[in-house]
Amino acid sequence: MHTARTDVNRIGTWFAGRRGRHLREAITAYLFLVPALLLIFIFGIFPVGFALYVSLHKWLIIRDDFVGIKNYIDAIDNLAYFGGFLIGLGALVGAYLLLRRLMAEALGHGHRPWLLAAPGALYAAVGFFFMRWLFFQLPEFLDIATKMRGLERTRELFIQLLSDAFHAETVYPHWQQFILALVLALLASAAALALWRNPLNFTYQFNFAGIWLGLAAGLGLLKFTFDAVNQAYELALESGADPGIWPQLTMITSGILILVLAWYVWRSAENQDRPLAFVLRILASLLLMMAAVMLIIEIPAIVAAGDRDLWGGLRVTIFFSLGIVPVQLSIALFLSVLLFQRLKGSDVFRVIYFLPYVTPAVASATVFRVMFSDRPSAPINRLITSLGFEPQLWLRQSKGIFSILATMFRIEDYPQNIIPDWVSPELSSQLAEWLVGPSQALLVVIMLSVWTFVGYNVVIYLAGLGNIPSEMTEAAEIDGANRWAVFRYITFPLLSPTTYFLSLIAVMGTFKAFNTIWVLREAQGPAFATTRVISVAIFEEFFVKTRYGYASAMAFVLFAIILTLTVINNRVQGSRVFYG
Amino acid sequence: MAEMEAGGLQAGARPRLARFVFSGSLAWKLFSYSVLVIGAAVSLVPFVWMVSTSLMSLGEAMGGRWVPGELRFSNYLKAWEGAQFSHFLWNSVKITVITLAGELVASVLAAYAFARMMFPGRNLIFGFLLSTMMIPGMVTMIPNLLTVTWLGRVGPIPWIDNWPALTIPFMGSVFSIFLLRQFFAQIPEELFDAAKIDGAGHLRMLLQLVLPLSTAPLLVIVVLSFIGAWNALAWPLLVTNTPEWLPIAVGLYNFVDDGGSEVQLIMAGSVITILPILIMYFFTQRQFTESIARSGLKG
Repeated sequence: MHTARTDVNRIGTWFAGRRGRHLREAITAYLFLVPALLLIFIFGIFPVGFALYVSLHKWLIIRDDFVGIKNYIDAIDNLAYFGGFLIGLGALVGAYLLLRRLMAEALGHGHRPWLLAAPGALYAAVGFFFMRWLFFQLPEFLDIATKMRGLERTRELFIQLLSDAFHAETVYPHWQQFILALVLALLASAAALALWRNPLNFTYQFNFAGIWLGLAAGLGLLKFTFDAVNQAYELALESGADPGIWPQLTMITSGILILVLAWYVWRSAENQDRPLAFVLRILASLLLMMAAVMLIIEIPAIVAAGDRDLWGGLRVTIFFSLGIVPVQLSIALFLSVLLFQRLKGSDVFRVIYFLPYVTPAVASATVFRVMFSDRPSAPINRLITSLGFEPQLWLRQSKGIFSILATMFRIEDYPQNIIPDWVSPELSSQLAEWLVGPSQALLVVIMLSVWTFVGYNVVIYLAGLGNIPSEMTEAAEIDGANRWAVFRYITFPLLSPTTYFLSLIAVMGTFKAFNTIWVLREAQGPAFATTRVISVAIFEEFFVKTRYGYASAMAFVLFAIILTLTVINNRVQGSRVFYG
Repeated sequence: MAEMEAGGLQAGARPRLARFVFSGSLAWKLFSYSVLVIGAAVSLVPFVWMVSTSLMSLGEAMGGRWVPGELRFSNYLKAWEGAQFSHFLWNSVKITVITLAGELVASVLAAYAFARMMFPGRNLIFGFLLSTMMIPGMVTMIPNLLTVTWLGRVGPIPWIDNWPALTIPFMGSVFSIFLLRQFFAQIPEELFDAAKIDGAGHLRMLLQLVLPLSTAPLLVIVVLSFIGAWNALAWPLLVTNTPEWLPIAVGLYNFVDDGGSEVQLIMAGSVITILPILIMYFFTQRQFTESIARSGLKG
């Protein structure tokens, strides 16, 4: 009785006083966060890992065999090797950067936290074991639904199956290892905290864990890549066939990187005072250079025999973004500069320009589909016939617009006549696919996109223009600069972050432009293939052919492209970019 | 503004009218207006054509006329009945309202915690959430379909062909949390201090102080949610097999596919689809464009 009351009192004191208030607030805050975090985790974050998992299986509706990286190789040929290679390098660089930051911080505080690398390594092991456990556990969980088929759905049955899945032979040892690592890591971490009471202690441990993870992931991926590349080369040697472009690109890139490394080692040798260190560094640098040259000398034959769908999708996507971004941005910039003069009625114009953006994409695509119909009496065809042109097929036309123009100007045999004779036939057919330009059908889709997004860009540009201090333009005008000069030398350069942001958004948009193209699909017939951007290709693979694993792999390639673009953007801009 | 002041410096030099014309102002204004009007015309022509075609007879629509000879409002009736638009519109409204209820509760609580409370890992979690905004929908779509199917098989209610699959995955919105957090963080500290002296806890401050001040961002989230629901095509195509829960975009899409030749009815259907969104946009356009300018959302 007595002891129970003191316990209650002790717990009560946790929540009293300043520290207690902090604790209480933290707990309330976590409670506030729970619903949102739970939802975002289940439907936003977990799917990314799961997509990776799905992409490694054949997966037709129900889970199927593990096929490893094969889906990726199907989707992107051996580009997967190259991607794995790059990601591995990235992980190593990340580990290095983390280490450098940690060292700088330790130096700044006069700490020597190197022993904390041990609990860090244990935490890294926890992460690794957790991933491995999840990887084996997931299929067991997924099978629950299949096992329940035909049985009555009761809570007891579900819990029973859940526990079975948990204790399955393939899963249980991994789970135990994970728990063991977790306990060890927590013990080591607690011991470290007890021995060295410092608020930064845990930060150091955490950073070390990151470094270890980066190192392990990087080295593992690099080993995997080089094994795969070696295999590809051996196979090529045996069969006498070409190993393809990507293994070779991997070799060449690593060669160039080693060359760069050699250059740094060479430069560092110049600063060495002791002769032995100098000689050793020069020698190391020479060795590196030789290795690099050996890697690069393997000059590739340019043959990329990947998946036609994905490559076609990428080509269409590139045409699409090249067509959209410059046109859309220049129209929007022009309109917003005019609007920014605060003429009478500019608010009305802004509202009108923005209308297409809020219009549901299915509806606007429907309207465009009818307006750009191939009937001679359709509005657009009547417009161009009244201007003296032939009616066009528009959405049904799969010919490229450059070749249509060439026919119009009576240039015979268009793409072939400008490709020189010495180009190999394979390469020349590939070149021709690019030289005919986007199809007329794609042109309509591009016009629809420009029409939709100009208003959005105008609004963002207006916000950007509002951020330019008016003293600058006024001063320039007093100095006698005309409108064009003010725009060219003041407004435009100061708007360049906005322009960069908008062009990035536009490029993303082209990757996502799904609704419009899907609605226009039926009206197009065979020309649909020329408007199938990569996101549509993924959806088709998934919805029509139900090849989940393959579609997931393609989606991941798309993700990698977007990620790269964003990282580059962040590097260039030095700030975060938001889009949704 | 700038050029008016610059012009003002020379005010004494010339007579007013001459200054107005010769400094290029009139010509420039005319030029500006004509460009702006052309831009507006291009933006509006598809809408005008859609409305006018929706009032034509089939012959007029196919003949490429721009103005109907006689206004046939009966087209709307035919489209409305032919494609069960009332059913699809009601579905979309239901889906939006359910999504919004969950989304608002989750986002408001989370945004308040990020904006006004101290807890370990606050910036870390927030940064992590922001970084998930760039995951493309195509990546999460396939696993989410599998998750939703699984949940429907093992859970108490079916998810496929039912409201949970169409609403619950969209309740956790990082963008809403971000928008609200930015707004909540700007509310002056003094108001909170006063409430604290009155003995208010966090939940009461949120309900009685923060929410009444935040109608603008909440309105934006509501409108965006409606636009999102009106645009949804890929996901509903995947998770519904019967028309019972199909939203409006899929309804219009099927209507267009089925009745491909009856242009005037298709256009009437498009008008019916667009109208609710446009009305909503006109009433909230100021808050809406401002929030977009501030946050640069939605590619």
